[in-house]
Formats: sequence, C-alpha cells, structure tokens
Amino acid sequence: MRPNDRKYTKTHEWVKLSGEEVLVGITDFAVQELCSGNEGDLVYCDLPEPGRALEAGETFGEIESVKAVADLNAPVAGTVSEINVNVEEHLEVLSRDPWNAGWLIKLQPRTKALDAPELLDAAAYEAFITASKH
Amino acid sequence: MPEPWRLLHTFDGEPGWNMALDEALLASSDPRPTLRFYTWRPHAISLGYFQRWRELGPLPEGLVLVRRFSGGGAIEHSDELTFSIAAADTHTLFRGEVLRSYERVHALLARAFEAFGVRAAPRAAATLRSDHPTSAMCFHRSTAFDLAWDGAKGVGSAQRRSKGRVLHHGSIKLAAGALEADVAGLRAHAPALEAAALARAIADEFARSLGCRFEREEPTAAEQTLAATRAASYRSPEFVRRR
Repeated sequence: MRPNDRKYTKTHEWVKLSGEEVLVGITDFAVQELCSGNEGDLVYCDLPEPGRALEAGETFGEIESVKAVADLNAPVAGTVSEINVNVEEHLEVLSRDPWNAGWLIKLQPRTKALDAPELLDAAAYEAFITASKH
Repeated sequence: MPEPWRLLHTFDGEPGWNMALDEALLASSDPRPTLRFYTWRPHAISLGYFQRWRELGPLPEGLVLVRRFSGGGAIEHSDELTFSIAAADTHTLFRGEVLRSYERVHALLARAFEAFGVRAAPRAAATLRSDHPTSAMCFHRSTAFDLAWDGAKGVGSAQRRSKGRVLHHGSIKLAAGALEADVAGLRAHAPALEAAALARAIADEFARSLGCRFEREEPTAAEQTLAATRAASYRSPEFVRRR
C-alpha cells in the first residue's frame, strides 16, 4: 500500500502537505514504468526555476529514462518555492525513495486543501493503476 | 471488429515540420491510434531531447540539424524509413512498462522484416559491431531490447509520454549513413528495397498481428496548423542548442 498521507494524480505524481507548502514527486509506479527496476536507466530530469507559477495539471518538468521522455505535471496550482537539486544529480533516489528523499519540487499552493476531485487517495490510486494494467 | 487506425504517409518532409507533425500527433484529439511513415528532405540529423549538441562533431555538408522531443541519441535521417506511432498510454501496444512497449513494437517490426529475408532479434546479451561507446549516435549505442541483425543495430527507437498519450519514434535503416558506420541495413538483404515498400510491409504486419484496419488519411487541419506553426522551432538555434 502506498502512503496515505498524500494525494495522487492519474499521471502518477503525488502531492503532500508540508507546513504551509506542498511537496510534489512521482510515484513508484511511474519510476517502474520508466526504468523497469534498473535505477541506472533514469538519465535526466529537468525541474523548473523557483518562482515559476503553475496551474494544476501544467507540465513543470521532464524526466528521461533510457527509452522515454515523460512530462512531470503539477498536481495543484501554486508557485515553485524550491526544487530538489539532489534528485537532478542523483536520479537513483527516485527508485530508492520516491516518497521522501525523492521529492521533486516544493510549491506555495494557491489553496492549501488537497481536496480537488481529480486528486486520488492511496486506495483510489491503487484501483486506478490496477485497472490500467487490464 | 478490427480496431480502426489512421495511416499517414508524409514522405520527403522538411525536417522541422517532420518533428512538429509528431508533436501534433501526440497532442491529437483523434481517438484512433495513428501510424505515420515518413522520410526527410533535405536529409537531417536529429538530436535526442536531452542530448548535448556539442557531442556531435562536424556535420557532413547538406545535413540539417533538428532536435527531437523524444529521448536517446542522434540519428542520421538519410537512407532510412522513419515511423511514429501515437496512441493513448492505455492502448495494448503501450500499456505498462516502457520496456514492454518496445518489445511489442520490435516484435512487429521483426516479423515485417522477414519478408525481406532479414532475421532481426533483440540484441539481448550480445555485443554488436555497431557499438561505438564514444559516439553521439543512437545507432552506436545499444541496449538489450534494441533490434539487431547481422551483428549490428538496425532500428533506433525513442518515446515521448505526455498527458496520457505516447509518441513512439522509430528509425529503420535501409543502409548506414555517413555518420553511422557499422550499422545494419535492410538493403544488405534486399538491395532494391525502398522506403515505401518497407512501409507497406510494416503496415500489413500491424494489421495482421494487432487486428487493426488502417484508414489512409492526411493529417487533420488542426494537426497541419500546429505542425506549420511549430516547424521552425525544431530547427531553431535556441532549441537545437538548448543543451
């Protein structure tokens, strides 16, 4: 079971409250789809400059594995306050700890409540990815 | 009931337009999967999305430089057939891990190549004579699932995944380009093979194996407009030299 202290998107990002801000990352499922368990297959990650304003669903960055470039999408609207520079330099963190050390960006959210209908809790996300496999 | 697919042939396309049309297909609202075959005029080099342009040495005269929005290494688009497949990431071809989708596409291509006497298979653990570790070219790097024959890589593949859709890029060598020494080509087995005949064979194999029915069309007006608007950006110095 994935952490239930955060919400998930159908494009496989997660968002979690962190004080007055939110942390955003990608799920273990997204990482597995991109690199099939080979952490060395993740090769690049482009994250936005702090200060950039994002709408919910807007692409804020890109990640490349050996064989695919995939968009990174903002689960909620807000302004980028910090990026995880460590991830850009050590992409293996995404395979080893996507839930904590593997956060990608910190946002000052436009609204703090993570209650938008398109955000899924852990159980609903689990059901979504189970359905997508069949 | 066969699944309807769109089939596009856009041969001799301008390099920037070729890339821009693929962007339009990735963003397309058409619910049908699309298989597009194309060639390039003038011939071109496409850089991978994240690739550093300085990795490339001096280019042969006459080759235009563009950057793809899919990943991987540089490809010389001269004696080859390029194809793209655009579909939802839930389509049976693309569902699940990226690696599995490569295996499915490559299996279809390998069966299509049999008509030309070519026995293509994933590289697996083999070492290829086309492996040149210091080269910036896609065909000089290989992974276990790359399609090879005659001891060399012959198909280059890359994907872009965005907003629930996938654009799969493929380059199939008819013969090695000037920058792609030691790469496998289909003409080694079928000397008179042309890109159009190869495209027909691949479409036939897709129809047979996937149970799909192709509807030969032109890009929609919206796709044409987007492609025309974005074409110049793919060969602009700002984009080509973004890294």
